[in-house]
Amino acid sequence: MKRAQIQIGETIAVLFVFFILIVIGFIFYVKVIKSNIELETEELSQLRSVGISQKIMFLPEVQCSEDNIVIDNCIDILKLNSAQSIMKENEIYYYDLLEFSDVSISEIYPDGAKWNLYSRKIENFRSKFVTNVPISLYDPATRKHGFGILTIETLFK
Amino acid sequence: MEILGLAIVVVLILVATIFVVRFLVLKAPTEYRKGFVSSEIASNMLNTLLKTAAKDCSQLTITELLQDCAQAKSITCDNGQDSCKFVESTANHIFDQTFDKWNMKYEFLAYTDVNAPLIKLGKPCKADKRSKIFPIPISAATMYTKLDICG
Repeated sequence: MKRAQIQIGETIAVLFVFFILIVIGFIFYVKVIKSNIELETEELSQLRSVGISQKIMFLPEVQCSEDNIVIDNCIDILKLNSAQSIMKENEIYYYDLLEFSDVSISEIYPDGAKWNLYSRKIENFRSKFVTNVPISLYDPATRKHGFGILTIETLFK
Repeated sequence: MEILGLAIVVVLILVATIFVVRFLVLKAPTEYRKGFVSSEIASNMLNTLLKTAAKDCSQLTITELLQDCAQAKSITCDNGQDSCKFVESTANHIFDQTFDKWNMKYEFLAYTDVNAPLIKLGKPCKADKRSKIFPIPISAATMYTKLDICG
């Protein structure tokens, strides 16, 4: 074999190894990017879940108020009973606010009453977050507070 | 000589790969929710508990019962318990249905002197905790309710 042919062979081998390394590097890069996107999606879902939880906690349809002054972390039981039917009748409006989620309130003390405020679930969700928030349940008829838990289950595709 | 160059290139690629895996691929997602949930729970739990009216105790609030507990202990509830015992059993029932159900460790204290608490529920946190203190005025001094949520 002539010397020139050997050098051409060497060059081809080097190029082959070089391209193999580039392909491995590219595959690795794609994997890293994919994992970063998944990480960001997870973080974004968490933030959206927090946002939905806050929207529910400050929903004027159920929030307590006295002389037009809003009371934080408090749900008016009378408003709650009306809000249940209003939210069912205007499901599309509330979907824009609450997306795919399930919102329920359970009384822990003194009784054990339960209310389901909003429910729009999907089967094929990618992530699910459940947020429990202690909340005061105000009965305007007796002007007394009970202890309840607001459970917000958010689902993301 | 060429072999040495190749070996250096391979070592550099390995180092770069380990670096990328360590800092990019194995990076855990930031727990935005955890901070929000524990801070909401710590503040809302105490706030809500103190406003709650006691069904078997003339509809007095837990705050009023705690005030009596720290002072005269003159209130006796329908079930025969004094104000301290009633608050303790009510808080215990509420925490059973919440923290214990959610597998959360906590410590609840009601005290005028932190070394001799009037009510103590749960266990002290060993490491990280989110703490909330609510002062309650009483005639002689100030009493405090404190809730620590561990983790």
